[in-house]
Amino acid sequence: MSDLTQVEIEQKDDVVVARLTGELDISVAESTGRKIAEAVPSSARGVVVDMSGLEFMDSSGVSMLFGLARQVGSHRQQLVVVAPEGRPVSRVLQIVEFDRAAPVREDVDSAVTAIATPQT
Amino acid sequence: MRDLPGLFDVRVKARSLAYLFAAGASLGLLTLAFPHTEEIRDLPLVILAAVAYAIAAAIWALADRVRDWQLHAVLACGTVIISLANYYAGASTLYPILYTWTALYGFYFFPIREALAQMVFLALAYAVVLAVQDAGMVVVDWLLAVGTPAVAGLLISRLLRGIQHHALELRESEERTRLVLDTAPDAFITLDRDGCIITWNAAAERMFGWTREEAVGQKMRELIMPPEHADRHDERRQALVDRNDPLATETYEVELVRRDGRRFPGEATVSRVEERGEVFASGFITDTTERLRRQAEREALLREQAARAEAERVAEMVSGMQALVDAALAHRTLEGILRDLVTQVRGVLAADAAAIYLADEGGRLSAGASSPGGGAVGHEFAIWVAESGEAMLAQADALIGVPLLADDEVIGVLVAGAEPPREFGGEDLTLLRLAGERVGLAIAHARVYEREHRIAETLQRSLLPDRLPDLPGLEVAARYLPAASEAEVGGDWYDVIPIAGGAVGLVMGDVAGKGLAGASMVGRLRSALRAYVLEGHDGGRVVERLNRLLWTEAEESQMATMLYLIVDPAASTVRWVNAGHPPPLVMSRGEARFLEGPGSVPLGVLPFPTYEEATARLDPGDALLLYTDGLIERPGEHLDSGLELLRATVRDAPDNPQGLLDHLLATLVPAGGAADDVALLTLFNLPVPEKFSAEFPAEPESLAPIRSMLRRWLAHAGADDIEIAEITTACGEAATNAIEHAGTSNGAPFEVSGQREGSLVEIAVHDQGSWRSEREDDHGRGLELMRTLMDTVAVQPGEQGTTVSLRRRLGQREGDAS
Repeated sequence: MSDLTQVEIEQKDDVVVARLTGELDISVAESTGRKIAEAVPSSARGVVVDMSGLEFMDSSGVSMLFGLARQVGSHRQQLVVVAPEGRPVSRVLQIVEFDRAAPVREDVDSAVTAIATPQT
Repeated sequence: MRDLPGLFDVRVKARSLAYLFAAGASLGLLTLAFPHTEEIRDLPLVILAAVAYAIAAAIWALADRVRDWQLHAVLACGTVIISLANYYAGASTLYPILYTWTALYGFYFFPIREALAQMVFLALAYAVVLAVQDAGMVVVDWLLAVGTPAVAGLLISRLLRGIQHHALELRESEERTRLVLDTAPDAFITLDRDGCIITWNAAAERMFGWTREEAVGQKMRELIMPPEHADRHDERRQALVDRNDPLATETYEVELVRRDGRRFPGEATVSRVEERGEVFASGFITDTTERLRRQAEREALLREQAARAEAERVAEMVSGMQALVDAALAHRTLEGILRDLVTQVRGVLAADAAAIYLADEGGRLSAGASSPGGGAVGHEFAIWVAESGEAMLAQADALIGVPLLADDEVIGVLVAGAEPPREFGGEDLTLLRLAGERVGLAIAHARVYEREHRIAETLQRSLLPDRLPDLPGLEVAARYLPAASEAEVGGDWYDVIPIAGGAVGLVMGDVAGKGLAGASMVGRLRSALRAYVLEGHDGGRVVERLNRLLWTEAEESQMATMLYLIVDPAASTVRWVNAGHPPPLVMSRGEARFLEGPGSVPLGVLPFPTYEEATARLDPGDALLLYTDGLIERPGEHLDSGLELLRATVRDAPDNPQGLLDHLLATLVPAGGAADDVALLTLFNLPVPEKFSAEFPAEPESLAPIRSMLRRWLAHAGADDIEIAEITTACGEAATNAIEHAGTSNGAPFEVSGQREGSLVEIAVHDQGSWRSEREDDHGRGLELMRTLMDTVAVQPGEQGTTVSLRRRLGQREGDAS
């Protein structure tokens, strides 16, 4: 059977957009994180992880995001997560207060803009 | 004492008696003419002579009519006349000598008793004469006069009887011989030294038309031989005569001529007969016209019988060969050909067992098929036959084998065996030789075809799911039945694809191309479809993309029909897109109906068609059936009748996936296989129980099915989408913990169970490991999620492992409360 989670990588200017679909649990969390990290060149300013198409994510997905945030941060790059309100993923991220590690946005465009516009 | 028949006829007797009277009378007159004694009275003697002349004349005249007793009377008269002559001549004369005449006549012509009676009369007559004369020496005179003729008569009589007897025998013998010869069917002819006919029997008369009188004395060569053969006849006869061998016999065939000139064939058996220094040739001649005719008829009959037997033999052989060739051509599958062939070979050859061996690429022979009880008939022998490349017999004609040839190569060997007394022979060899070439070709064709069929089928099967996924609350089953005949394999496919969020995609498609091309297109469509589904596209877009793929990439105008269904067990719905495929069937509460909806054209027909999704209920307890047209198409029947038959069949089918499919195949697929591939896929949406309990292996791959199961169960329990998502997330955390604990439980499975009371749902995850509050890299987030998303979370570590119990009352979310 195919992977539970599919990763689609897209380059928007100097931002990498990783679109996740399917479900993200412990069976695929680690490999998904690796795929995203590998897709981010050192030249990129940051990475957007689009979780709006994700049907499910558990704590292992959260752990993957925290790890990714640390990793891009160490390269002076930024991570922005897209998780629209009302989606299952958004609720999980709220509970674990993920926004302490990286910003969470409603859509990809605002996420890309957030990276392009350096935070004060 | 046997009475001999009289030697003489009455005429001879009568005339002899007349001579006697005349001679006596003349003698008497003569004695008177010469000087004699005075005692003799001339006148009475002259009168007596005259009487005697008169009697002689009378008898002579009446010789033809006179009777025996009249002759006796006349003879007695003669005795009286002699006696009167004695009386008148006186005692001194020698007249008594005349009595001798009477005696001799009597004994010569009459039977001995009648002759003796004449003698008695004579003795009395003379006694009277003597008594009247009263001379001396009466007794002496009487004795001399009577005794002399009596003795002379008896001697004559005896002598005569001997001669008579001999003559009679001779005559009888001759008559017998003549009788035999005359009644003989064959002509009997005797020739003298010069070739003149001596004997000519009745058969010869009949055969040649010449009477005996005419034939006897004639030269045979002139009478009955064709002129051109006459010399040859003479040579043969002469050679036979000259051989000087008393037993010499020759038989030869001759041509003969009848009196009327007609010629006929004959067979002559000629013997050399030597009698008293004379050499004869005697021969039997048989008219062989009839015999030759019968012989010719018999020969003709035999020839006809032989010809008919030959014709029947050839006909039998041809029909036998035809039966074998028919068997080889009647089937398209190798197995069918071989099975039928061994049966036919047994019948045609009257064999007890038959087997076919097939050669592989390396020329090694392996058993292809054998008749019942045939087992491995003559494997060694088959190898031998294959090596020689010739049909042959073995084991005292109990085994017969023929190589099966295709393009001069031995592709197999056909072997048959028989129990005594059946023995195979040259005709069987001829038959098998004739059949061998044709059967070999048929087998070769079938093998080529079968190889392609097999490759296509293998490819096809490789494209179908090895096993269908385990879907919680759902049960699926599928069948793929390759076409029985023609290179129709390939083209049908089905798939079952779990979709994120607990739904499942069902695919049923049929690519128009068959064989290898069809199978490879199926492969491309299948992987593309899986990719599109996993990318999260909805049904309509998935199918539109597939259409695009087929439209742009298929080599020729290839097209495919397809159904794509998305079953959402949590929502109890089915969404479907139909691209020109026969409609899916929904079984619900004992009824079956087709999912008719916004159908669209098959894939590959238009560049940009629209494929719309339709939705229908699929409640727990309902089922779906997807199929390809191979199941419903019947030659000469409208598609609707096939659909109706399917619907009716489904209604009566068992209420479980495997049973349903088996029933459909058994009922709708003709014996011997369908003409087209048949693919079947069914999904049963199982009823949702109030309580559940399921075991899962302790591995991360168990998590997705657990979530699917929970979503469905929760939906049935009345949870809304958010509640379902949250409870599923919490339970997932508990299950993830259990999997993480596998390290301490030696991989033992863990159990997930659920129950509800009213709006309160309780889910428990029980594992056999020991509890750890934090997972690696988890930082306690799992437990945090559980506690946040559920009303209560209870962790109960124990000897038998750990149980995490999660409870939540539905319909009381924070948002609702506020």
